[in-house]
Amino acid sequence: MNIVLNGVTVAIKSPPLASLLTVLREELNVTSTKVGCEQGGCGACTALVNGKPQRTCLTPIAAVDGASVTTVEGLGDSDHLTAVQQSFVNHYAAQCGFCTPAMIIAATAYLEGNGSSDREEIEEALKGHTCRCTGYQKIVSAVAAAVAETTFDLTVTTPSPNTVIKSGGQT
Amino acid sequence: MATHRGFGISSIEYPTGMNQNGDPSQAWVKVKPDGRVDVFSGTSDIGNGAKTIQSQIVAEAIGIPYDWVTFDNSNTDSSPVCTGTFASRATFVAGNAVLKAAMDVKQKILEVAGKEMEVSPEDLHIVDGEVQVKGSPDTKLGVADVAAAATWTHGVLMTGTGAQLNEYAEITNTLTGEVSGPPHAAISYAACAAEVEVDDETGDVRVLRLIQVYDVGKAINPSLVEGQIEGGALMGLGLGVLENSYPYYPSPDHRGYSIGSYYMPSSEDMPEYKTAIIENPSADGPYGAKGIGEMANNGQPGAITAAVHDAVGIWVTELPITPELVLRALDAKAEPRREGKLIAFDEELSVNSMASGISWSV
Amino acid sequence: MKVVGARLPRYDGVGHVTGQTQYVDDVRVQGMLWAKALRSPVHHAKITHLDTAKAEAMSGVHAVVTWRDVPLLEYGHLSALGIPADEPLLAKDTVRYMGQPIALVAADDEDTAQAAVNAIEVKFEELPTLFDVRNAFDEGAPKIHQWGNWYPHFEGDMDRRQIRKGNIEDAFDRADKIISGVYRPAAIEHVPLETQVSLVVPEPDGRLTIYSCTQALYFSLAVVAAHLEVPMNRIKIVGGTVGGGFGGKVDTATETLTALAAMKANRPVKWRWTREEEFLVSSTRAPWHMEIIDAVTEDGWILGRKMLTLHDSGAYARFSPYGLTKHSFHHTGAYTIPNLHFDGYVVFTNRTPTTAMRGFGVTSISFAVETHLSRIADELGLDPYEVRLKNANRINDTSPNRIRYTDPSSVEVIQALSEAAGGELAPAYAGATRAPREGEMLPEHLIGQLKTEGH
Repeated sequence: MNIVLNGVTVAIKSPPLASLLTVLREELNVTSTKVGCEQGGCGACTALVNGKPQRTCLTPIAAVDGASVTTVEGLGDSDHLTAVQQSFVNHYAAQCGFCTPAMIIAATAYLEGNGSSDREEIEEALKGHTCRCTGYQKIVSAVAAAVAETTFDLTVTTPSPNTVIKSGGQT
Repeated sequence: MATHRGFGISSIEYPTGMNQNGDPSQAWVKVKPDGRVDVFSGTSDIGNGAKTIQSQIVAEAIGIPYDWVTFDNSNTDSSPVCTGTFASRATFVAGNAVLKAAMDVKQKILEVAGKEMEVSPEDLHIVDGEVQVKGSPDTKLGVADVAAAATWTHGVLMTGTGAQLNEYAEITNTLTGEVSGPPHAAISYAACAAEVEVDDETGDVRVLRLIQVYDVGKAINPSLVEGQIEGGALMGLGLGVLENSYPYYPSPDHRGYSIGSYYMPSSEDMPEYKTAIIENPSADGPYGAKGIGEMANNGQPGAITAAVHDAVGIWVTELPITPELVLRALDAKAEPRREGKLIAFDEELSVNSMASGISWSV
Repeated sequence: MKVVGARLPRYDGVGHVTGQTQYVDDVRVQGMLWAKALRSPVHHAKITHLDTAKAEAMSGVHAVVTWRDVPLLEYGHLSALGIPADEPLLAKDTVRYMGQPIALVAADDEDTAQAAVNAIEVKFEELPTLFDVRNAFDEGAPKIHQWGNWYPHFEGDMDRRQIRKGNIEDAFDRADKIISGVYRPAAIEHVPLETQVSLVVPEPDGRLTIYSCTQALYFSLAVVAAHLEVPMNRIKIVGGTVGGGFGGKVDTATETLTALAAMKANRPVKWRWTREEEFLVSSTRAPWHMEIIDAVTEDGWILGRKMLTLHDSGAYARFSPYGLTKHSFHHTGAYTIPNLHFDGYVVFTNRTPTTAMRGFGVTSISFAVETHLSRIADELGLDPYEVRLKNANRINDTSPNRIRYTDPSSVEVIQALSEAAGGELAPAYAGATRAPREGEMLPEHLIGQLKTEGH
């Protein structure tokens, strides 16, 4: 068996029923795909399989023999962030960061499928991904801005909509 | 059969640091030969942004750019004691520790700079990574040059340490709860309004909008404050209408064991937010900051219960407000017992009707 | 200020979006074993038989740890604060909740470890259970904890946390209305995306390196060192980067047992809880039972509050005594109430021990007090903003512990909420400030506390 991992063909030694998640993490040391539940529920293990987001924890490696697999390592590195990655930084869309790589994979697929910047459509597209930290607002904002191809100043982040800061009036 | 809108409010307070205090945080800072600064703090970053906040505090205190700071909280060999990231203490208590360490090392920088510039350290300050003579900004020496001089000329290691420990407040009278001193550091305040929609046929409660006001003292990084408020809001919404470890409490049966069988908010449950962040500086927090990480999920449930009452006239006082509880309450149309000046709600839930070993009355 | 107050990017933001941030589960070491736990399948029982011989003899199994391997079996999270220990690291003769760990196996892989767990012979004699905190005090209630059914070790061996302030009887006598209610928020899960996990590496110099997801590096260092009865310099906790905590990772849930397995096997061992364990065995936010009786005037002043709280601690105390004390200190919410009578109990039940979670001790109070205040406003036909603004803490008001407030901003946040919601307050309330009470905002019942109390 083999897969095309982030553009490079790699042979797989793991048994055929090993999950793609286990193969990625334990055989290939690709650790951006996270073990969040191994129940298909949280989405933290998502990778692109032949361009489509897929739960790697529920995917036997034999079922994706020969497939193209993309993880966040295959998108952009710290010197060459993709628009989605830049937008996540700019909008503070990652807090603890554990759900973030898979969230970026899902957002990338959403953009490549010509998703719109409509917030409800983005919420729908991300609903299979659990984030316990952010309350999703900043994630949705990040995806919407990435769709709009906003360019970012990575030294300053973007505020949340509908938020004001004011000095206290009391002494 | 219809949906009904309702509106309710709450107003809350929450202390910073461990209850009764006595929870130390410590930090130390060293300067590299090129003026870059390493901070060692034992504060875990659980997503709250401790690494960012404490780096910002150090950069501000010394007078250097943010990207000159390296933050290391990676282990207990290199980092001094920090009680931990809980009790809304990472910005306030641990932030005070790194602030003190930064002020300490800043003094060392000024002392070496004073020797190099032949100026009294009291007449110097640091602006954007340069030591300047106060009132004469053109007379200056880069912090990098000061650090090089310390290393190669003076043979000095420029370090700073800081420790924050608020005095333990002992309970001096166990019968009354009196304490030996304030049992917490700064108190943070917030208020919350919820707008809900209740379906009287299905019992479904939707939170449509949350309006929230937080006095954070000082927003050291406003984006991080927003992140706490928004993330806390959805957790508070989960507490109010969705989440339950024991759906048949007090029975322990049928617990959710998976993301799919435990109900918690998803992106689609996110309400519309309107947020005001107020800055009333605290007397003793770093730059006036207070901690709001925890209180961010405390205000919503009480606002939601009031909004549900406003919508359909029922008080549901067991959380979460499930469709079942809503429908049962709508069916029962229960009124409190009114007797003289007493108005007694929820008597069926009280220990008085459930238990024999403990009773409770006015 | 240039740096403080600026929306600078997260220190760890680029690491997060590139997948390069290293969490415990991402650490790679050679020769690592995997751990699995034998857990109680019942809620309450005596352990009558425990034999690990078959498991130990299995191929690929390198260590089986039971209570016999733990130098100090019981050490409480709050032992350092004088709260005695009640929970064994591994069950010895009794299990008090479903999922309580009895043994830990370290093996070449997770499947082998699980097979060895299944091969451990264990027998139970089931005991009666208690799940409803309200029935813990009943005559004939099953005795489920070695200390009795509620925590008996508050200062002076008090069996409850008490607050008394002012004259509660007088407040009820003078009240126009007495309004009571019962408030019961549920237990909930923390659900960090990263489950409880640790990796322990025995080092050549005899030290242990413990990769940990703890929220509290030094807390965990102290807890592990105490159980192992070693000085702190034998242990290095590596962490600081946590995949979500929300309070649950103050527990030091895995580190000590993984360390014992690593020491026994003399190999690195990782113990990563499954999501199912995280839901069913990791500690929860506590369910609370709160009863409030408020003495109020027709114009919305709260003269006095009587309150009973039963805090469901689950099978062991953990942080519950601390949480209940914090709860009692804040049981007036953001308001001044001069006459108080509070009794709170930490009640043991046969459920997973509860622990700290975001807002610990006070989330429950905020919900109960705010719902109760909304009821009071509704019953009296008053504006809910005005009832809150009237009673909201001002400078020189005092807390349940008789501590003076110096800079409360309750008034300002309520006013700002009204403004943000498009409301309009009556002039007396729109113009209120945190300044010390005077005039109509200083009714007779609040004069006393200004004169006689506070520090």
